[in-house]
Amino acid sequence: MPRLLALVLVLQALLLGAGAHAAGAGVELVVTEPYLEMHTGPGRGYPVFYVIGRGETVVVLYSRTDWYRVRAPRGQEGWVRREDLRRTETADGGPAPIVPYPDFTSHRWELGAGYGIYNRENLVTVYTDFGFTNSLDIELVLQQAFGTIDSRLIGTIGIRNTVLPEWRWFSPTIGIGTGYQRISSIAPPAPLEAGNQLAYASLGARGFITRRFMWRFDWRTYVVFNNVNKTEELEEWKFGLAVFF
Amino acid sequence: MEIRPGSVLLAALLLSGCGWFHRGDQGPAPVPVDEPQPDPTIIEPQVTRREVKTPHIKAKDFELGAYVGALSIQDFGVNPLYGLSIAYHVTEDFFLQADVARSKAGQSSLEQVFPDISVLSNSGRRFTYYDLDVGYNILPGEIFLGRGRAFNSALYVTVGVGDVKFANIDNFALNFGVGGRILITDWLSAHLDVRDHVFDSDLFGVSKNVHNIETTLGLSVYY
Repeated sequence: MPRLLALVLVLQALLLGAGAHAAGAGVELVVTEPYLEMHTGPGRGYPVFYVIGRGETVVVLYSRTDWYRVRAPRGQEGWVRREDLRRTETADGGPAPIVPYPDFTSHRWELGAGYGIYNRENLVTVYTDFGFTNSLDIELVLQQAFGTIDSRLIGTIGIRNTVLPEWRWFSPTIGIGTGYQRISSIAPPAPLEAGNQLAYASLGARGFITRRFMWRFDWRTYVVFNNVNKTEELEEWKFGLAVFF
Repeated sequence: MEIRPGSVLLAALLLSGCGWFHRGDQGPAPVPVDEPQPDPTIIEPQVTRREVKTPHIKAKDFELGAYVGALSIQDFGVNPLYGLSIAYHVTEDFFLQADVARSKAGQSSLEQVFPDISVLSNSGRRFTYYDLDVGYNILPGEIFLGRGRAFNSALYVTVGVGDVKFANIDNFALNFGVGGRILITDWLSAHLDVRDHVFDSDLFGVSKNVHNIETTLGLSVYY
């Protein structure tokens, strides 16, 4: 019961927060094309229910994906396509402040997740990536490998070079880095160590899908620094989808 | 009257000469050399710089939500489930989603028939998972309530990977789901989801695929 109460409280807080956001003032833009179409929903199939004429002012409240929520002079609210809103102007004649999508080659932040195979075991991976330049990134990865005798949590940090960042659909990448794996036993024999430091070298590729969406493929070879007399080498490959900002 | 080129040239020269002298008359009077000259001070412009601020339109592409429902844990009955989710809408068709949820397994049939047998410890009955999914809105549309009300809605499918921790073991799980969303207002949506978490389990001696199907009801806000 306390759990349910907590849930209700969290939800209530969320609702209040969102309500406060909704009340914020928007950006005023003037229609310069013959008309601006307002749709009932933020999607290509939703019908046009209202048209705003040239010279009239709309208030842009917020955006969702490629659509903008606007308020017409007489209070009607609806959704306007991004490309249509780009052709409006601010009150003093400037261009509409519709920010372009982050450029694929020069984006700064990236957040992604994917599936892979680590040491012949299933792997789930999430990562974040910060680009210093168009071709040099620092990459932070957290992943979980699901073995039959052990389960591993792996965290790595490394640098990656994108060889041809201006190629949109396929850019090769190379990288190196270091990390740590925590091993928890599932079935005997128990692992000799509870964790090891790792180092890796990677080869990969990335490509643009649409808007701020991209795919990434990565192959890595790991060296595990353990206290056993033999150095362990592991292989990993993974495929992921990412969003960049 | 005949105009000769020579006379035109002469007239032009005279006119330009007049112009020259005329300009000469307007020029500043020569300043006497012995008068003190004012210091050549730099004139500071008394103009305050106008702050050019590009107005910012807020993007509300994230959806944060909570859900409750029933999870059918294979061999362990149907049990309540509580979860949290976050989604990022990339385009009007695709979204990425992450979920965390927990439940607790009940008694298996074996344990019900033979009360002395306990298959799982108390901590082993905990069923927790996380998911990383890709979703696709297959049927966007509107739902009408009477004549005057319409709610935006969508039917979507999700597929993803994740971890199911059950019997104190982390299992790699695939999940497949189908769900519906209705936007009650433009920032609040209600969800109904059915999702199957599939993983390999050898809890009862033989390795088999176990299906754990959840039916949940959730509320989420766009921000």
